[in-house]
Amino acid sequence: MELMTPNSGAIFWTILTFLTLLLILRKLAWKPILGMVDEREGQIKASLEQAEKVSQEAKKTLSEQAQILEAARRESQEILAKARQSAEISKTEIIQKAQTEAEQLIQRATREIQLSRDKAVAELRDLAVELSMTATGKLIGKSLDKKDHEKLVKESLQKIGNVN
Amino acid sequence: MTQEVVEKIIDQGSHAAAELGERGAAAVQHAAEYGGETGVGFMMHHIMAQPVIKLPTILGIDLTITNHTVMMWIVSLILILAFGLSFRRKGLVPKGRMANALEALVLYIRDDVIMPNLGPKGKAYAPYLLTAFFFILLCNLLGLVPFAATATGNIGVTAGLAILTLLTVVLAGIRAHGVGGFLRQFMPHGIPWWLGFVMVPVEVMSLITKHFALTIRLFANMIAGHLTILSLMSIIFIFKSYFIAPFPLAIMVFSSILEILIAFIQAYVFTILSSVFIAGSLSSEH
Repeated sequence: MELMTPNSGAIFWTILTFLTLLLILRKLAWKPILGMVDEREGQIKASLEQAEKVSQEAKKTLSEQAQILEAARRESQEILAKARQSAEISKTEIIQKAQTEAEQLIQRATREIQLSRDKAVAELRDLAVELSMTATGKLIGKSLDKKDHEKLVKESLQKIGNVN
Repeated sequence: MTQEVVEKIIDQGSHAAAELGERGAAAVQHAAEYGGETGVGFMMHHIMAQPVIKLPTILGIDLTITNHTVMMWIVSLILILAFGLSFRRKGLVPKGRMANALEALVLYIRDDVIMPNLGPKGKAYAPYLLTAFFFILLCNLLGLVPFAATATGNIGVTAGLAILTLLTVVLAGIRAHGVGGFLRQFMPHGIPWWLGFVMVPVEVMSLITKHFALTIRLFANMIAGHLTILSLMSIIFIFKSYFIAPFPLAIMVFSSILEILIAFIQAYVFTILSSVFIAGSLSSEH
């Protein structure tokens, strides 16, 4: 049966056609395509590696920045705490100073008041002595001598002092 | 004188008889080739190679160009044009739908057929295997086009392809292990020397049988689909009825779709088996 017997011409033409096609396609298609694919794969691999490297670098930078940020925060807190402390100290200082000043003022005022009072009391006493002397002189009609006079004043003064 | 006339007449007579005989033989051959309009003859006419240009036989090779030869040339031309036009511009990424589709197929063959079997050594054999895949695929697919012929449905064509794979396998073995190393593969390690009388013929037969099977597999698969479709078509002419016609027609459509699938599968199978054979020849242990 001719269907099942390979024809030598068919084999010949097949091999010839196929080898020609192989040579042409190798130059025209397989080398460019496979080269392109290899190049692309290489580039993708390189880009992936690059991306990995960059991401790691970014991670490192990020952690560095976080460290810096943490340090800055700590420093600012320290500064704040120190400022608060110094403010506290100056506050108590000012208050103390004010208090002592106020006390001094009060003391001085009290002293002055005391002095003026003493003075007023002495003046009043002198005035009272004079008044009583004139009044008694007028009443009795005769002046008392100096000795009696002083004796009397002393007595009345003692009386006033007791009242006082 | 009479003697001469008689001789002349006899001579002419024998000439005429010989001519008649030749004509008769030609008629018989013609009848055998076409075998009437229906039945086996009609199917054979569609499946067998038909001569297009008669050429003389040189060194026992019949150089006659058949429709199958022409189909192979058309396939080659389409492949060269498709790949040539798609990959004219060099770039990292294919441009255009055609280029993308072709690249996807090429990558599929490279990554799923060649690389798993041959590994990094497969680079040298990728051009052969890729060409085989695309050549067989397009031959199979173009065979489904009406008025075209299936070159891969010709056992001579599949034999030619299998011979090329056999040559590639032998050359790969020689390249990997040297001529001596290649021949030593026929004698497995660790068996007594006298078993060689059995083992060497068995190994040689195994090498040839594998490629013979390659020939028959592709040929039979292609011819079977066509015979199925043609037989179904014949049913319509045998019954000569419009009521019968839709049923064979429906099955023919289904078979044609199946044939598209088979066209891909057989091209894939031929390529993967070729790469497996080459890989077997490349590996040192056998």
